[in-house]
Amino acid sequence: MTVLTRMRDHRWSFSVLGVLALWGLLSVMTSHFNLNSLSGVASSASFLMIVAIGQMFVIASGSGNIDLSIPSVITVSAFVTMILSQGTNSGLLLALPAVIAIGLVTGAANAFLVLKLRIPAIIATLAIGYVLDSATLIANRSLDVFTVSTLLRGVTSAKLAGVPVILILASALMMVAGGIIKGTTYGRTLMAVGQNATAAHLAGARTGRTITIAFLASSLLGAVDGALLSAHAGGAFLQMGEPYLLQSVGAVVVGGTLIAGGSATALGTFFGSILLVLVVTTMQVSGWSPGMQEVVQGAIIIAILAAAGSGLSRRSA
Amino acid sequence: MPTASALQFSGIAKAYGPTRALGGLTFRAAAGEVIGLVGANGAGKSTLMRIVAGVTMPDAGTLEIGGAEIDFDSFSPEQARRLGIRIVHQELSLCDSLSVAENFYVEQPGRADLDPRWLRRYHRMARDSIQSIFPGHGIDVRRPVSDLTLPQRQMIEIARAACDPLLRVLILDEPTSSLDGLRSEQLACFIQDRAAAGVAVIFISHKLQEVMSIAARVLVLRNGILTSDTMTGAISVPQMVAAMAGEAGRELEQLHRETVTADTRILAQINSPWSAQPAELRAGQIVGLAGLEGSGQRECLRALYEAARGAGSPGLVCEAAASYVSGDRRAEGVFPLWNVLKNATIGIAAAKPGISILHEASEKRTAEPWLAAVRLPLERLESPIVDLSGGNQQKVLLARALMTGADVILLDDPTRGVDVQIKRDFYRLIRQAADTGKLVVWYSSETIEFVECDYVLLFHAGAIKCTLTGNDLTEDAIVDASFSDKDLPSAVSQTAAATSSSAFRVMPFLTAALMLAVIGLLNRNAVSLLGIDLLMTAAIPLALISLAQLFIVGGSEIDLGVGAFAGLVSVISATFLVTDPALGWLFLAFALAGYAGFGLLIQLREIPAIVVTLGASFVWLGIGYTLQPTPGGAAPDWLAALAAFSLFKVPASVLCLLAAGAAATALNMSRLGVVLRGFGANPQSMVQSGWSPLAAAASRYGFSGLFGLAAGLSMTAINTASDINAGSSYTLLSIAAVVIGGSALTGGRITPLGTLFGAISLSLVGSLLGLLNVSTDFNAVVQGGLLIGIICLRTILVRSAP
Repeated sequence: MTVLTRMRDHRWSFSVLGVLALWGLLSVMTSHFNLNSLSGVASSASFLMIVAIGQMFVIASGSGNIDLSIPSVITVSAFVTMILSQGTNSGLLLALPAVIAIGLVTGAANAFLVLKLRIPAIIATLAIGYVLDSATLIANRSLDVFTVSTLLRGVTSAKLAGVPVILILASALMMVAGGIIKGTTYGRTLMAVGQNATAAHLAGARTGRTITIAFLASSLLGAVDGALLSAHAGGAFLQMGEPYLLQSVGAVVVGGTLIAGGSATALGTFFGSILLVLVVTTMQVSGWSPGMQEVVQGAIIIAILAAAGSGLSRRSA
Repeated sequence: MPTASALQFSGIAKAYGPTRALGGLTFRAAAGEVIGLVGANGAGKSTLMRIVAGVTMPDAGTLEIGGAEIDFDSFSPEQARRLGIRIVHQELSLCDSLSVAENFYVEQPGRADLDPRWLRRYHRMARDSIQSIFPGHGIDVRRPVSDLTLPQRQMIEIARAACDPLLRVLILDEPTSSLDGLRSEQLACFIQDRAAAGVAVIFISHKLQEVMSIAARVLVLRNGILTSDTMTGAISVPQMVAAMAGEAGRELEQLHRETVTADTRILAQINSPWSAQPAELRAGQIVGLAGLEGSGQRECLRALYEAARGAGSPGLVCEAAASYVSGDRRAEGVFPLWNVLKNATIGIAAAKPGISILHEASEKRTAEPWLAAVRLPLERLESPIVDLSGGNQQKVLLARALMTGADVILLDDPTRGVDVQIKRDFYRLIRQAADTGKLVVWYSSETIEFVECDYVLLFHAGAIKCTLTGNDLTEDAIVDASFSDKDLPSAVSQTAAATSSSAFRVMPFLTAALMLAVIGLLNRNAVSLLGIDLLMTAAIPLALISLAQLFIVGGSEIDLGVGAFAGLVSVISATFLVTDPALGWLFLAFALAGYAGFGLLIQLREIPAIVVTLGASFVWLGIGYTLQPTPGGAAPDWLAALAAFSLFKVPASVLCLLAAGAAATALNMSRLGVVLRGFGANPQSMVQSGWSPLAAAASRYGFSGLFGLAAGLSMTAINTASDINAGSSYTLLSIAAVVIGGSALTGGRITPLGTLFGAISLSLVGSLLGLLNVSTDFNAVVQGGLLIGIICLRTILVRSAP
C-alpha cells in the first residue's frame, strides 16, 4: 500500500516497471535478444526521446497545449538536410543552420497562432503541420541525394564504450530538461502557467514568453531529430516523421507527465520512450502485422491515460 | 405564526476525517418562514446545504422534509428536487451558450411536450418568472446567457429556481452578491411574497445588515454548532458577529485614516477615459475603487496591473512594480498541484530571469517571515495549498504579493468568502503595508470595507464619477453616490457582440457562394447540373465528417480519429458488406459501439479527448489495415444505386447534403440537442440540474459516430472501393469546416448549416486550384491557410466589437 502511494508520488516509476517487465518478456521470448539488440532499442528510443522532450514542455504548459506539427517538422528537416548537405560533411554547414531555422520559425509560428490569435494549439499545430507537409511534397520533387554525411551518420550510429552516442546525446538532453524543470525559474514558471495561466500572469509570470519557449523547444528538437533521422534511415522519405506523432505524446503521458499540464517529469519521459520502443520491438519480434502494431500502440496510450486519469480530480479540491 | 414544518433537522452530524463539519444540529424551519443563516467560512453552512440537497449523507441525525422523514440511503439530488428543495448557488450555474429560455428547459424538462414548438412555452415561462420577481428586467429570453451581464445572470438564476411549482424550501446562497440596491429590494419583496404563500426560505449571506432586513429569524453557526437562534429583532449586528466569531467579534473598529498629502511619491495616475480629472495615487495610501457592481472598477484595477507590467493601458500610468491579489482564488490565485511554499514564492521566482537556479532552502528562508506576518501556521508550509481553507489560501496569496516587494498592491475583492477573523487580519495587514510606503488599490464587493480606505474613487458607467475622503467617506455616502443615477451600464456592448456574430453566421455561405461563382467564371461547365453534381459529390465525405466533428466540438472537445473511423467504415462496407452483409453490419455496429465507447471513456476518466482520439485513430487505422492491407473492394449494390438516385433531376449528391444538414439541424434544435449544448458549455451545472454526463457523452459520440458511419459509406459509394488511409486527411479539414461554419471551439455553440457550407467551401478549394492549374501539392497549404485566415478574421472582428 505504501509502496503504491510512493509510486503515485513518483509517477515515472510506473514506466520503469513497464520497461523491466517487457525486457523480461523479450528475454524469455527470444534467445537471441542480447545486448546488441538492446542497443538497437536504445538508439531507436533516443530519437523518440529527443522529440518527446519538446512535446513534454508543450504539454506541461497546460491549456490543452500539444504539438501536432512534430512529424511534419521531422520530415521536412530530413528532406532539407539531405538536399542542402548533398550527403557531404561540408554541406552540413549549410544544412544545419537551415534545419535550426526551420525549427525556430515553426515554433514561432505555432506560438504566434496560439498566443496572439488564440487558436487552440491542437488546430494551430495541425495547420502548420499541413503547411510543412506541402513544403515537403515540393522538396520531394528535387530530392536526388541518396548518400548521408559521414559526420551525421557517425553521430547516429557510433558507439562509445559500447553505448550508442545518440543515446548519450539524448540522455544528456533529458538531464538538461530535467534540470530546467526542477531547478530553474523557467521550469517553475512553466509549471505555474500549466496549472493556471491566469493565476500565473497575475503572479507576475511572463506567460506568453514561457509558452513561446516551450513551442520553440519542441519544434527545434523536432528539426534536429529530423536531421539525425535522415542519417539514421539513410535518406529522407515522405511521412517518415509520422510515427512520432502518437509516440511523442505517448512517451510523455506514459512517463507520468500530467496531460492537463502543470507537472512534468523528464525521468518519466526517458523511460516512457524506452517503454514504447520496447512495445514495438516486442510486437515485431512476435511477428505481429503492422496493422495490429498500430492498434496496440493506440490502445496502450488510451489505457494508460484511462488508468492514470488526467490529474484534474485533484484540482477540483 | 406558521405551523406546518417545512424542514426539521434533528441531531444532524457530519465529520470529514478528524474535522467536525456539523456537530449535532437541531432546528426546524416552518413553512412560510424566512430564516437568515450566517456563519464564518467553515462554520458548516455549505455542509448543511449539501445534506439538504441530497449531495452529502450525514453521519448521524434525521431530516424531515414536509413532515416526512428522509431515508438517507436513497436520498439523491433528484429526490430533493422532487420534494421541493431548490438551491440558488453562489457560483452561478447557468449554461452560457444556451438561451435564457433553454436554461429554464434544462432545469425543468418536464414541461416540454411533443409539440415541435416546445421551446415557445419556455420563452413564456422564462419571461413570466423573471418578471414576477424583477419587474422591468428588460432581459430578452431568446438571447444566449453569455450576452448578459453578471447581475442579469444572477436574476435569471434566482428566477429559475424560484418559479418551480413544486417549491417548498428555497435556499439562497449569497444571492445578492452582484445585485444592486433596486434588484435586492425586489428580491426581498419576492421572498416575503413566497413566504406568505407558504414557502420556507433560507437566506445565506455575509452581508449581515441585509440578513437583518430580510429574515425574520437568524441562525448563527460556528464550528458546526448553532450558537444563536433568535428572531431578528432580538439581535444586533455586533451580537451576530460575536456569535459567529467568538473572541474575534469585537466592534468593527475604524482604523486611523491618512490624510491625503501632496508630498509623497505619485505611484500611479488615472486619466481619461477612466477619469475626467486626472487622479493621482500616492505611496502610503489605501485607495478604494467603489461603485455599483460592473461599473468598471474591476476592469480599471486589472488595467492598472497591465499598465504596471508595461503592457500599455490607455489612460493609466503606473511606473512602479505592482502585484495583484485576486479574491477568486480558484480561477486566478492558487496553483493547485503545489504546496504552500511554492505557491507563496512563485511571485519572486517569476520576477527573475528564466535561467536562474532555484534553491528551495533560501526560498523557504525568504518566505517564512512573510507567511508568519500574515499569521499562517508555519507547519503548513509543506501542505498542499488545496488542503487549506479559503481564508488561509488568501493569506498565502497576500504573502506572495507582499514578498515581491512591489510598491503597488492591487487587491481584487480579496476578502470574498473569507470569515470575519481573517477579514480583520486582512484590514490590519493592508494598513501595515500602506504604512510602509506602499500604494494599495482596493476593489471590493462589500461597501462596508471601503471605510478602511483613505479615499475612495467612485465609478459609474465605466469611469470615475467622484472622490470621497476624510469625513465624507462613510458607507452611507458611498451607497448614496452609487445609486444617485440609476440607469444601468450594460446595453452597449451587447448590440456590438450581436452584429459581429451575425457576420460570422453569413461567412460560410458567402465563402461557398463566392468560390462557386469563381469556379463558374473559370469554367462554365462546372456550374451545369452535371458539374454541380460532381462538385457536390466530392464534398459529401468531408461534409458528413465535419458534421460528426461538429457534435464533438459542441462538447468542447476535438476528435482526431473521426477521419480514420470513416476510413474503417469504408473498408468494412467495401469488403464484408458486399460478401456477407449480416457480418458487415455486425462489424459496423461494433465499430460504432467502440466509437461511442471511447466517448464514454473520455467522460468517465476525465481524460483529454485529443489524446484518446489520437490513440483511437491508430486503432481504427490498424484494424482497417489488417482487414484490407491494400486498397480495393467494391460498393454494395444498394449503395451504388443510392448514389445514382435523383429526385426531380436534383442529383443524389445535393439531396444527400440537404438531408445531412436537415438531420443535424433537427438534432441540434431538439431537446437532446439543447442538453448536449448545455453540457458543452457548462457540464457542472447540467449535472446539478440532474442530467447524466455519461449519457450525454455516449449520445454525443453516438451521433458523431452515426455521421462518421454515413461518411464512410459515402466514401465507398463514391469511390466504389475503399482505402483505409482515405479518411485520415479529412480530420483536420473537418475541424476547419466546423470553425469556418461559425461554431465556438470552446463548446456549446453549434452551427450545422454553417459547418455544411464550410465543408463545401473547403472541398471546392481542390477544384478551384485544379482550374487554376496549381499543383495539388498546394492543396494542404491553401486549406490550412484558409482555416488560419478565417480564425484571424474572427479574432479581429471579436476584438473590435466591444
